[in-house]
Amino acid sequence: MWTFVFKRFLVAIPTLLLISVLVFAVIQLQPGGFLENMLEDPRVSRETVERIRQQYLLDQPVWVQYVNWLAGVVRGDFGYSFLNNRPVSELIWERLGWTVFLALVTIFATWVIAIPLGIYTALRRHGFGATLANFIGYFGLATPDFLVALLLIFAVLSAGGTSVGGLFSPQYIDAPWSWAKVVDMLGHLWIPIIVIGLDGTASIMRQMRANMLDVLSQDYVRTARSKGLAERVVLWKHAVRNAINPLISIAGLSLPNLISSTIIASIVLNLPTIGPFLYDSLLNKDQYVVMALLMMSAVLLMIGNLLADLALAWADPRIRYE
Amino acid sequence: MSKRRAVWLAGLLALGTIALAQPKTVTGYGNLGVAPGKAGGSLTLALGSAPQTLFYYGAVDSAIQALANQMFDGLIEYNLGNYKIEPGLAVSWSIGGGSKVYTFNLRRGVKWHDGRDFTADDVVFTYSQIVANPEARGGDAGNFAGVKIEKLDPYKVRFTLPKPAPAFIHYMRLPIMPKHKLLPFSQEGGKAPAEINNAWPTNVNPQEVVGTGPFRLQSYTAGQQITLVKNPDYWKRDAEGTALPYLDRLQYLIITDSQARVAQFLAGNLGQINITGAEFPDLKRREVQGAPFKVVQFRALFGSPPHLAFNFDAKNPDLARLFRNSDFRRAIQFAVNRQRVIEDVYNGLAELPGNGMAPVSEWYYDTRKLLGTYDLKAANAALDKLGLKRGPDGIRLLPSGKPLEFTLTYGSNSAAFTGIATILQNDLRQVGVKVNLQGILAANLLSTGRGKDWEAIILGLGDQPDPELRTPIWKPGGALYYWHQSTQPATPEGAPQFNNFLPWEKEIYDIWEKAASTTNVTQRKALYDRWQAIFAREAMVIMIAKEYAAGAVSNRYGNYVYSLGVIPGYNPVPLMFQR
Repeated sequence: MWTFVFKRFLVAIPTLLLISVLVFAVIQLQPGGFLENMLEDPRVSRETVERIRQQYLLDQPVWVQYVNWLAGVVRGDFGYSFLNNRPVSELIWERLGWTVFLALVTIFATWVIAIPLGIYTALRRHGFGATLANFIGYFGLATPDFLVALLLIFAVLSAGGTSVGGLFSPQYIDAPWSWAKVVDMLGHLWIPIIVIGLDGTASIMRQMRANMLDVLSQDYVRTARSKGLAERVVLWKHAVRNAINPLISIAGLSLPNLISSTIIASIVLNLPTIGPFLYDSLLNKDQYVVMALLMMSAVLLMIGNLLADLALAWADPRIRYE
Repeated sequence: MSKRRAVWLAGLLALGTIALAQPKTVTGYGNLGVAPGKAGGSLTLALGSAPQTLFYYGAVDSAIQALANQMFDGLIEYNLGNYKIEPGLAVSWSIGGGSKVYTFNLRRGVKWHDGRDFTADDVVFTYSQIVANPEARGGDAGNFAGVKIEKLDPYKVRFTLPKPAPAFIHYMRLPIMPKHKLLPFSQEGGKAPAEINNAWPTNVNPQEVVGTGPFRLQSYTAGQQITLVKNPDYWKRDAEGTALPYLDRLQYLIITDSQARVAQFLAGNLGQINITGAEFPDLKRREVQGAPFKVVQFRALFGSPPHLAFNFDAKNPDLARLFRNSDFRRAIQFAVNRQRVIEDVYNGLAELPGNGMAPVSEWYYDTRKLLGTYDLKAANAALDKLGLKRGPDGIRLLPSGKPLEFTLTYGSNSAAFTGIATILQNDLRQVGVKVNLQGILAANLLSTGRGKDWEAIILGLGDQPDPELRTPIWKPGGALYYWHQSTQPATPEGAPQFNNFLPWEKEIYDIWEKAASTTNVTQRKALYDRWQAIFAREAMVIMIAKEYAAGAVSNRYGNYVYSLGVIPGYNPVPLMFQR
């Protein structure tokens, strides 16, 4: 078991190196950058731009920049943001809290809603409830999240509401935690949960439904029923436990979504998460911020995969890594 | 000294200090709808991006520009109505020594937010240690090279210029920084020149960020909001003697997306937003239907009117030859339907453009007749005259026999630029010119234009109150004279490549050279008038339209005057009050 984990870590190192080279190369291919646009300001001269290029070592060859960055990473220094003139790690840390919070809440809501719905729609395949859930599911899959966000904002505005973006009303953003602040947050939170979670809920629900249908037609389910087990036991102990296995791998893959999947929705909903920060950095070619965030995303993907594999081994006695 | 005399003296001194405080009374904006307001209340505004730093000179960043306008003051500022220069932290000034010596008398009794006195030391420090520091990312070393800055007494400073610079007074609008807080980051404080950029990062203790401005920093929540509170000792008063600013609090929410800004405004979470022509009709309709806000439009000086530029150095030599030809650009101009752009793209919220100067500017020269009118027949005739015959498919042929087609680069995430590009493409097709559209991010337009890989581009560059401030754009060979890059110096410090100048470019160059050392306003105006006429006559770049400024303000607030927010020295917010 531990050998397995250790091996996976060893394999991860060359993979991450390769990813970092690719990401760095792609950033360099992007035209423009924040320096050029500075010239439009009447107080900036060509000389100033050259000075800044030198300050950031951007006048060095690309490979030198890469090696410097890599050497920094080995020392635990992820570089600094050109735009903010501050260490990248600090900037990410500032925004990490709400990002993780939102992601966890959304993932939790997604699974809590999607799994029972998947089971329900599999058991009552032709009932009205299942048809309705399926319809909403298809709608969720087919509609881009930003559009859902705009529709919800429009609905809230039409109903005379004021919670149309962000996680708090302006007066609560800086306020210390209080019951009123929590209530205010809950009033805002449901929109991002729906917007970010709808897509995932729909797809997990559909998967769970398909797996359930698959499992329910298996011989061992029939056997279980025929030996007189209670339907409840057949369902939860034999069917669901088998049907849920493939979803564990999917859960592992969803970890990097923390960073990258909600960019557009976060911008439209004005959420204080890492997504808009990454977008801004990409536009401005703030290369070390982009590198740090994309590498973080890659690392999360690997960790997620590893956790999923371990969880699978735990959930399914047939799987053993030796 | 007898005891009585000492008391007398102390009394006189005390009186003297009171008399020495020199508040500025802000009056005369009745035509802008400004009336005496009442103190109190708070206002929430939007910022389009998070500030990169809280130090104005540490970055060129619109967010800190907007914030600095509220937290700091310059020596001079602009009149909100006519953009004329008025006293700010300087109460008066004189220009002598052949227009090379500027002497400023500073306002007495002005306090920094932490209670320290504002003096000449702060001014000298700001300009010599920060603005003139070539390593400061948001400094202006280029315009302060060789400028001698001296303190004459605690309330008097003198700038001595190496040569006359008529627009120099405009650079005096830059925010003055506190020496007592920033000395440790400066060369005078023993640090390397680049160290100044590390002052006041976004996680600085807000108490450290002190200015003289109407509001002071209270807190910054990363990526979400900035809160400013009233400076009770601010040096401005309204006509009735009430201290400005009226508002107790000014909050900025960071909202990147313009739709989200509008939604937050409609929900009542924002008190005022700036909008575009595209957003105008919907908001205006709501206003007419009784929504509790007003949508207003102004002819504004600041803002970036779009133009159509052709690359005189295009890689395709046939195209480059054509693009350099003023007859060709004038022919194309006949096919530019400015009225339609104004109606359809800007929803009527725009006017015919100036050539390099905004139509409301005192420097504007009326070039409307030279801009020509939309006339496809005339365009066809002019193109025929250039020998560009139509091919079998209706597309004109270049002398080489290849079809006349080029790529038009525009900002695809800007509704206005996209609209203009499609209208141009459509009309040019009718005169036998094939245009292929290439949409890129609007933020990358300038860097693309300054590169070599483009043929035609739609780009907007900001208008300023004095033409001199835009020298790099309009003077041939300048850093932003991007449509004819072969005129630019071959080496960074070199002279422009005069051998590549077209005759009319040489003429413009001479005008700008002369204007830069002319201090007589009438003569300068005459010179810049001639430049604008040549610009228009040669269709150097084809100006499209000048957008009006539009904003929406909640009925809860009075005394709203439109501002871009980011222009140093133009700040109407202290006059706003909550009803």
